[in-house]
Amino acid sequence: MPTFASRGILLLLPFLLLACGGSGGDRPAATTDRPVIGVSVLTLTHAFFQDLTAALEAEADAHGFDVVITACEFDIARQKNQVSDFVVRQVDAIVLAPCDSRAIGTSILEANAAGIPVFTTDIAALSEGIDVVTHVATDNYEGGRLAARAILDAIGGSGQIAIIDHPEVESVIMRTNGFFDELEARSAPVEVVARLPGGGVKDRAFRVAEDILQAHPDLDAIFAINDDTALGAVAAIEKAGRAGTVRVVGFDGTLEARRAIRDGQIFADVIQHPDRIGRETVQAIVRYMNGEPVEDEILIAPSLYTQQDALADPLLQESE
Amino acid sequence: MLPRLSSPPNRTRIQQAVSQFFSNYGMLLVLLLLCTYYAVVTLEEQNPRGADAAEALLDDLTARVPAGGTVLIATKANEEDRVFAAALAEGLRAAGYTPAGPVEGTPQDLRQALEAVAAQGRPIAAIATTRDNAAIVRNLQRQVTSLAETPVLTPASYRWPTFLRADNIRNVANQIVVIAIIAVGMTMVIITAGIDLSVGSLIALSAVVAAYLIQAMGGTEAGTGAMLLASAAAILLCGLVGLFSGFVITRFRVPPFIATLGVMQIASGLAYIISEGKSISAIPDGYVWLGRGADLFSLPNAVVLMILIYAGAHVLMTRTTLGRYIYAVGGNEEAARLSGIRVHAVLVFVYVVAGLLAGLGGIVQASQLKSGAPTYGLMYELYVIAAVVIGGTSLFGGEGKILGTLIGAFIIAVIQNGMNLTGVESYTQKVVLGFVILGAVLLDMLKKRGLR
Repeated sequence: MPTFASRGILLLLPFLLLACGGSGGDRPAATTDRPVIGVSVLTLTHAFFQDLTAALEAEADAHGFDVVITACEFDIARQKNQVSDFVVRQVDAIVLAPCDSRAIGTSILEANAAGIPVFTTDIAALSEGIDVVTHVATDNYEGGRLAARAILDAIGGSGQIAIIDHPEVESVIMRTNGFFDELEARSAPVEVVARLPGGGVKDRAFRVAEDILQAHPDLDAIFAINDDTALGAVAAIEKAGRAGTVRVVGFDGTLEARRAIRDGQIFADVIQHPDRIGRETVQAIVRYMNGEPVEDEILIAPSLYTQQDALADPLLQESE
Repeated sequence: MLPRLSSPPNRTRIQQAVSQFFSNYGMLLVLLLLCTYYAVVTLEEQNPRGADAAEALLDDLTARVPAGGTVLIATKANEEDRVFAAALAEGLRAAGYTPAGPVEGTPQDLRQALEAVAAQGRPIAAIATTRDNAAIVRNLQRQVTSLAETPVLTPASYRWPTFLRADNIRNVANQIVVIAIIAVGMTMVIITAGIDLSVGSLIALSAVVAAYLIQAMGGTEAGTGAMLLASAAAILLCGLVGLFSGFVITRFRVPPFIATLGVMQIASGLAYIISEGKSISAIPDGYVWLGRGADLFSLPNAVVLMILIYAGAHVLMTRTTLGRYIYAVGGNEEAARLSGIRVHAVLVFVYVVAGLLAGLGGIVQASQLKSGAPTYGLMYELYVIAAVVIGGTSLFGGEGKILGTLIGAFIIAVIQNGMNLTGVESYTQKVVLGFVILGAVLLDMLKKRGLR
């Protein structure tokens, strides 16, 4: 006497099982002799982390490692689960770009207790008592100083500026610290008229920029703490019809931002080198596995990228 | 169309009971099948650990290494490996070997230890290590010339589903505990034909308020009393927010969807204001007791708490007058009112419970992460609602089961964990989860049509 209910279950099952199995076949098997690196980054929707993980994967493969890449997509609880799963799978090394520099502490302790080495990349972990082998990142403080110099260039040394911030993230705090220190060191006659959080994402930055433009008709420039923020600001500036009068300096050097720089929408970018960060991270893991000393912090110098660089950029010519 | 027959006369009580069970807990079957599925697909080589590993290695070692030889033990620095090293050293001595070391630690520590052993010039017959450390040891020995040819022995592996390992089962329970606790309150709300969208934001508010108060009461030096007080205050605040939602819904007849949508924004905004957008982590180490501790039969404390809450809520909903009122209000509000039930009081009660439990969920989250941040709980209301719906509670109100919700929560947890273990990437996971929710609703429809 099969009821509709049990028939319903039977209908549902094969589909459920198919769906849940997903791409189970092509995963890196935990049983091969190749050591496994478990990676959990902040997000895979940013070009920065896409470039970083791609370079990391290629470099790891060259050194005989398998890589499992996950992203927490801004949910720290999810990142905690991902690290727990890495510990269960007994990966040989864990690479993290923490969603929250402090809340990640308990997860790192869990990996430490299992004897799995932890490496952080781009975003540092700041909890006390944790053991991180090394932190590989852009020298964000230096990048902030570069950005301040670019802004001064853009506005001719004096004027009103605004910052679209994202203070939840440690690397951004470093950028803004460097930015303000450089302004102060040069005792530049600039007025910071607004400093608002834009979440590091385009749509929120767009709305924040609109409000800033509304409130400050004499604004000369915006420092955007990453490229998505910069592109959001550019959209707002163009909508307000103030392109050319309000300059934007961004941070990261994604492809989309490079195009905007070439087209004069963004004045300049402090560019990071995510591919180098990914490669250096793997090289640090290799040195660690070989029992060689690894320095506590590996800083990758950023550089300034202007319209001149964009016009000569082979990356932009290829993609057109 | 054939006319439907009434119950066939030969249907026994047992058959009826079985049929009843499946229509009530058909999802339990789905959960069991999911577990079986993941047990099969994650069946793989496991590395024995601790004393078992030592035992497994000893047999192999005595067969391959001549008696009396010196065996160097090298492991990673963790508790299980220490047990392995100690048990192995003891076993080796008993079998007439000379254990050397044990050396443990990072590859750098091991390398120095190997170099030191090589420098002593003592002949080493074999190096013993765990399977997950073997690659490192083999790599290191190549760099120490005198040990390059020494055999590296590891315990034989055994086959067992990774999914069914005790630490993974604990993971699954730990990963769902916040959502499962909040889903109890949500089940009651949905049984009254309401919805509470604010629970995700309340996780953040509760975690931030608790962390903020602990910081104010001494930070990392705060005592147990301060931590309890701060947590209780945070939970109570969330209860008050629930009271506010219930008041707006009953007094002004604002649809629950809209009222709690507003409260969701308010609670999230407050969390950002209180924390100034940053995470607060000046919290004593002892605060992780709830989220990370495991005192009772090595069950995680948060899971014990979850079980207690489910037991309490199950009794409330099935054995008390208040429970029957909640079903009655959801089934037909007008009829409930006419039969003398104080409908508004019942509605306010369920939103307060939902608020309190969301606050408790926030405390568990803060305890697991030893910090409070306004970004917690993002979109969790949707997972909570999914757990309730998969558990068989009807969004139209009047029917649903607390234990069904627990099953629903575990279905979500098992699918997510299983997909993580089998390497399904996170975007696909979203798609799968969406289909599971749709499937559950479809099943609910089929069930109703079948019973009618």
